[in-house]
Amino acid sequence: MTSREAESPREAESSARRQRWRLRVPVKQSIRLHADHHRLVLSSREIASAAQPGQFLHVWPHAPEDVIRPPFGALLRRPFSISRVSPPDEVELLLRVRGIGGKLVAAKQAGEMLDVIGPLGNGFRIRDGLRLGVVVAGGTGLAPAPFLIERLAERGARVIVLAGAAADQKVPFAVDRPRAGRASIPALAALGAEVTFVSEEVEGLLVTDVLEPRLGELPVEGGAEVFGIGPRAMLKHLAAVTRARFRLQVSLEERMACGVGACRSCVIPIRQGEDGFTYRTVCRDGPVFLAAEIDWGRLEA
Amino acid sequence: MSAPDLSVRIGSMLMKNPVMLASGVFGYGDEFMGLALYGDLGALVLKTVTLAPRVGNPPASRTVETPAGMVNSIGLENVGVEALVRQRLPIALSYGTHVVASIAGDTADEFAACARALDATEISAMEINISCPNVKTGGMAFGMDPQASSEVVAAVRGATGKPIIAKLTPNVSDIASVALACERAGADAISLTNTFAAMVVDVETRRPVLAANSGGLSGPAIRPAAVYRVFQVARAVTAPIIGMGGIWNASDALEFIIAGAAAVAVGTALYADPEAGHRVLAGIRDYLLRHGVESVRELVGSIELRA
Repeated sequence: MTSREAESPREAESSARRQRWRLRVPVKQSIRLHADHHRLVLSSREIASAAQPGQFLHVWPHAPEDVIRPPFGALLRRPFSISRVSPPDEVELLLRVRGIGGKLVAAKQAGEMLDVIGPLGNGFRIRDGLRLGVVVAGGTGLAPAPFLIERLAERGARVIVLAGAAADQKVPFAVDRPRAGRASIPALAALGAEVTFVSEEVEGLLVTDVLEPRLGELPVEGGAEVFGIGPRAMLKHLAAVTRARFRLQVSLEERMACGVGACRSCVIPIRQGEDGFTYRTVCRDGPVFLAAEIDWGRLEA
Repeated sequence: MSAPDLSVRIGSMLMKNPVMLASGVFGYGDEFMGLALYGDLGALVLKTVTLAPRVGNPPASRTVETPAGMVNSIGLENVGVEALVRQRLPIALSYGTHVVASIAGDTADEFAACARALDATEISAMEINISCPNVKTGGMAFGMDPQASSEVVAAVRGATGKPIIAKLTPNVSDIASVALACERAGADAISLTNTFAAMVVDVETRRPVLAANSGGLSGPAIRPAAVYRVFQVARAVTAPIIGMGGIWNASDALEFIIAGAAAVAVGTALYADPEAGHRVLAGIRDYLLRHGVESVRELVGSIELRA
């Protein structure tokens, strides 16, 4: 079906009934990781079964019962991408303990409840028969990578991860640096991916520096697709170098308020006609977009 | 005591209770579908539309959180009245409660054209947004001047028989005179307040955080200022008032009602709690029972001023 080939994540969503809930869910695990990274595992059968890679939860950062009191700070919910789900009920988030929202959510202990809305947004779309998925991720963009890698591997695709960050500490996973050979991220390799990691601090390289030579080696035929998660400059570069040969889906971030497409805060420019554009919301139409539909020239860095 | 009477009337719109959702926060109604039973509320006010679609202000950023509030500058991005009527309204109406459309324009004629396009629809009322602070022309200018406000209201009055609600900006020196001008020009109700003009500066870059430089402040931060303006307007007009500005819970809503509002609208709180309106409604009911008040209408403007 050629029409499905062109289907963007957003178009796919409109045909499927959106399943989402506003729930109070228990925190199963709350673990401080290295640097300012934090792992939070929530328990929700609904979210664990409905979530797709690239979707997010909109989290009320205070105690659920305090939703009746207007807080002085952190008035709005905070979006966190879903890092991984483990049936039947585990939903994992990787946060940065930075800013008031991240600090409040990371302070939740196992056994406490959290008020969440989700899963929200349109995630990555994995086509039937995909042979190769290349996940290009930078810095904290790695947080949703495990979920995507797992789903790609489950569908029988070979998974290559090209990851980069300013420093090892900026990544929410441990980095393995063997004496010889390339650095890797064991947590991602364990999910079935071939992982290459570079940091500016050690290798002096950006992920975009290793991307181009690798892309040239990859077979296009048989269905290969690239998935980008990370800073906009990286995604922009990725869009430019993949344009001729690969379909590319990217996950974008933008300041949000409502999380469901009502307030129009988190818009990005989407191509329309010859030189025109229209705004679409990251929260509802995204966060995953086809790179080909984004108006990269108008997208702010 | 039997169940208290929560019904209120805004022109010919009889609402089963006084809790509405404010324009803007609820989009066109379909975005929040499934997160609460919005048909339980008195009325749902949709996001403002103009005659032609508008792209709005540039992103990054359109919204920024502030202490007990948020500043937004969306710039009236909207699908246009035609797309609202054709595509979005059927879903909003399916909630089974009153739907109020919000309209804006650069000229009184554009307001009237929007009103005509909506006149034959199933909406229960129209809110005239003469107070959006985020567009360079039009909107704000009307609401800042009693004469200009009354011209817009009169133009819309001539275009529809549905109840019309004039939504006022607080960014004026004498809000009561604007309200009175709207009432005299034929407005069935007055709603206030829209957001307060505001700016947030990024001190590292010395640039405003909002792409449009300034925007409008909403949320609990503005509540006492909004309550006072409702009080002032209630002294000036006889038309029912819809009070809003930072309502988070029933106590907040009751402040507006006691100060003179016949109905209230929940805005920013919806983003924290999709059931904020339902909480407010349940709390008002509890209050009436607790105080032995038979009808919420008895509370309207019941403020007892100190000597």
